[in-house]
Amino acid sequence: MDVAFMWETFLILLSGLPLTLELALTSIIAGGILALFLSLFAVAGGPIGRGLTRGYVFVFRGSPLLVQMFLIYYGLGQFRPLLQELGLWAIFREPYWCAVIALTLNTAAYTSEIFRGGLKAVSLQQVEAARACGMSGLLLFRRIVLPIAIRHALPAYGNEIILMLKATALASVITIMEVTGLAGKLIADSFRAFEVFIVAGAIYLAVTFLVTRLMMIIEFWLSPHLRMRPPTLA
Amino acid sequence: MSDRGTFLTADNKDKTAAVSVKDLRKRFGPLEVLKGVCLEAEEGDVISILGSSGSGKSTMLRCINMLEVPDSGEVRIGGEMFRLKQGRYKTEPADRRQVDRLREHIGMVFQSFNLWSHMTILENVIEAPLHVQNRNRAECIEEAEALLERVGIGDKRDFYPGHLSGGQQQRAAIARALAQRPKVMLFDEPTSALDPELVGEVLKVMRSLAEEGRTMLVVTHEMAFARDVSSRVVFLHKGVVEEEGDPAEVFRNPKSERFRQFLSNER
Repeated sequence: MDVAFMWETFLILLSGLPLTLELALTSIIAGGILALFLSLFAVAGGPIGRGLTRGYVFVFRGSPLLVQMFLIYYGLGQFRPLLQELGLWAIFREPYWCAVIALTLNTAAYTSEIFRGGLKAVSLQQVEAARACGMSGLLLFRRIVLPIAIRHALPAYGNEIILMLKATALASVITIMEVTGLAGKLIADSFRAFEVFIVAGAIYLAVTFLVTRLMMIIEFWLSPHLRMRPPTLA
Repeated sequence: MSDRGTFLTADNKDKTAAVSVKDLRKRFGPLEVLKGVCLEAEEGDVISILGSSGSGKSTMLRCINMLEVPDSGEVRIGGEMFRLKQGRYKTEPADRRQVDRLREHIGMVFQSFNLWSHMTILENVIEAPLHVQNRNRAECIEEAEALLERVGIGDKRDFYPGHLSGGQQQRAAIARALAQRPKVMLFDEPTSALDPELVGEVLKVMRSLAEEGRTMLVVTHEMAFARDVSSRVVFLHKGVVEEEGDPAEVFRNPKSERFRQFLSNER
């Protein structure tokens, strides 16, 4: 193995990392917001809400992200005149935005299921205690339901963040030059697939390592009530 | 359906009662749990509600703060009646805000404590005064600390519910209810989920509340508490009040055969 070449490769791939992180972060945030509404709609929207959200989850969880990405980037290109008329062509012509949209819609499906599970795990007893002292509506949701639901959902949500981070690699197939995209280009130039992919893999590994640590810290910080030893008193 | 009718029965006597329940009916599917229950608590009354399981006593208590919405009948808190309306499938509160507002004045203590697991004991106690009643934070904390001291767990303020014993949790729950500055306290079998050796500490707190003249409605199986502490005993059987009266009197000389049987089983 050529260490000097790998170092060079590392520096080149590292220049793609900001784009990888940007894709991941944008779609995780947008997908998270969409998921929150979907899960609320699923839990509180009656039979219509349940049906619609179930359908959404079925479609986006049931088909490959790559297919969704192709559909949005290549497929919608067929409807260019219509999209131009609607003023949406500026978005759908950009591979970056197509990737973000596909990633967002996909993660929203998984995340809404995670949130839904968290919301359903909130015990009725704690909700009743809140109602009994005069809480309802948004106050009840903000002070009691959401904090408890977040704690239930966090471990699974951390998983989803890592999956999304790695899923950004798929954006390389619609010409986006993030870490994997740059790796593909380097291989085409150098024919040294092994070294290049080892370096690319190591970069993803380092980032997911940091993300898991971060999630652990957040979990620790949010769950003093689950730790065995009571806090010592000052 | 009884909404309009209940306005007509309002009279001056109801306005003075801390809690007034009239002709309460509630059915769960085919099962009629309450078949016209009446109950009146003056300020300072401590009423023990007895009955075997399935007699409707918990349902009745939960109807008083609308955790269970009665099919018909009326519930008044300090003279103000919960307004009900006939929904498409069942009776519903006519005004959710009124329900919230009246609930602020009703402290509820549950069988399984129902403390908020993600908050410390102090946070549990200040939650309602701070976020529902919008009182001053420093004042809420000061009052909460005094209440925790009073129920004997002043040193546990920064613990989480999961770190406390059942008896301590229930006393924290009592402090949480008291922090609302309620006009009435409802206790739904407050000692039934506790180990026998922890029952005493909770009853002691409840006894001291009774002694300071708080209005309390207590669904319980603790016969000694009913006999020695309460000012009145109500015995429910199959959704109706079978026996009611002064504890010394009804325990010594029960008029109803059912109550006699119940007492002999409980001993």
